Amino acid sequence: MEKILTLNEMDNTGVAVDDVNKGEIVCYVKGNIMMTLTALETIPFGFKISLKDIPKGDDILKYGQIIGVAQRSIHIGELVHVHNVEGKRGRGDLQER
Amino acid sequence: MKQEIGQLEFMGYKREDGSLGIRNYVLILAVTHASHAAAYKIHENVNGTKVFVPEDEDGRSSRDRATIARVMIGLGRNPNVDSVLLLCSNRVVAYEELSVSRISSEISKSGKEVRVLAMDECGGFYKMLGEGIRMAREMVWKASRTRRTMARFSDLFIGVKCGLSDATSGIAGNPVVGYMADQLVHSGGRFVFSETTEVIGAEHFIADRCRNEHVREKFLQAVTKTEEEAKLIGEDIRTINPIPANIEAGITTLEEKSLGAISKAGHSELIDVIAYGEHPEGKGLFFMDSWMSSTTLFLGYAAAGVTLGIFQMGGACLPDSPVVPAVSTGIVTPIFYVTGNPRTYRKGEMDFNAGTVIEGKETIESAGLRLCESVLEVASGTMTFSETFNYQDRVEIFLNGPKL
Repeated sequence: MEKILTLNEMDNTGVAVDDVNKGEIVCYVKGNIMMTLTALETIPFGFKISLKDIPKGDDILKYGQIIGVAQRSIHIGELVHVHNVEGKRGRGDLQER
Repeated sequence: MKQEIGQLEFMGYKREDGSLGIRNYVLILAVTHASHAAAYKIHENVNGTKVFVPEDEDGRSSRDRATIARVMIGLGRNPNVDSVLLLCSNRVVAYEELSVSRISSEISKSGKEVRVLAMDECGGFYKMLGEGIRMAREMVWKASRTRRTMARFSDLFIGVKCGLSDATSGIAGNPVVGYMADQLVHSGGRFVFSETTEVIGAEHFIADRCRNEHVREKFLQAVTKTEEEAKLIGEDIRTINPIPANIEAGITTLEEKSLGAISKAGHSELIDVIAYGEHPEGKGLFFMDSWMSSTTLFLGYAAAGVTLGIFQMGGACLPDSPVVPAVSTGIVTPIFYVTGNPRTYRKGEMDFNAGTVIEGKETIESAGLRLCESVLEVASGTMTFSETFNYQDRVEIFLNGPKL
């Protein structure tokens, strides 16, 4: 059973549909191909894992769309969340007028 | 594969105006508020009817009266309706847009039979009630002689609302519905989504997909207006999203949250923005500018001509053995409940389990194809689970006010 779900072939992030432990080898489907990678840290249910090395400043892709920008370089298998990604449209802790 | 789906057939009711219904009701409409009681009592006594009694029209803006009229006319014209029985207290005293002659003639343009009963002409409530029961029974019997005939997937007009969202909504439930939306639109059908408040943050993704500049303007204006309405009362939507609970659940950015919501609309070009209860021109994907409440939205969809409503539900907060939150709020349009959460599915009441995607048993594509097949079954007559319940949840028309 694949623990990582991708919403679009172009995505560089996948979503954990079950809790993933640090060091676990996980699978996801890209097109018709089964891919694998090693989780470098714990990825809880509903959170994102990086499917590729993402350089600082590159776009984070989910649903085939840009959901944010890498604030620092991210390795394949790392957790992708508020500590290394910033949305272009702002967050709850920022003023946006 | 897309072409194959477009060719898939169901058995539907072909109407005079060429539209395809999936149900075959006689609709009882109270055109002015004085005929409420008669409308409900006739409906109670005659099988095969649906009843709609709008909000009291007095003391409302012309815009709201126009909305009430548009909803009544739209419901009467819905392809799931065979014929209409209009009730009023008299034919003469009414706002012009809500006069029984106007409502009757507008519905008649669809080719459906419209019969009118006025209380003063009947000689009072009790005689109207008796005459109404007799008339409705004749109409229902006549409707029962109509047979289903072959129709195509592309003949369907489907509308979606997502609600009680949880982590599974954006990763399974909505994308699976979106896949079905893409198939329907590409095969030549119609699909509508809405909930203007919940596209805020993702509106540029939809704006980029608008058919032309005019549609793009309409869409962005609808979003801006909604955001301004919130700000007017001191609510600034953009500075509170994502909320801490979203971030705790793994949602990182506002775009990500909103994309999860709009994924239910698939990826097609947006053909037009329609008002609440407005029937769209042409085929394809449409956006209805409306409040998201399930007490109003499915009614608006039914008035626009939607024949099947879909409620995509996360549902993590639902108790065991719940009842669904909106029973029959589409009046003449059944509601099909989809969930991407396997635990929600196990609680009962759901029509379709997209939670197989979460469990790794299916891809979004294969669940989406399975959803197309299930939708075709319902179109041919399989009941949605909520249709089996003899209960009508409260319904309200989306009115802007003010009340004067």
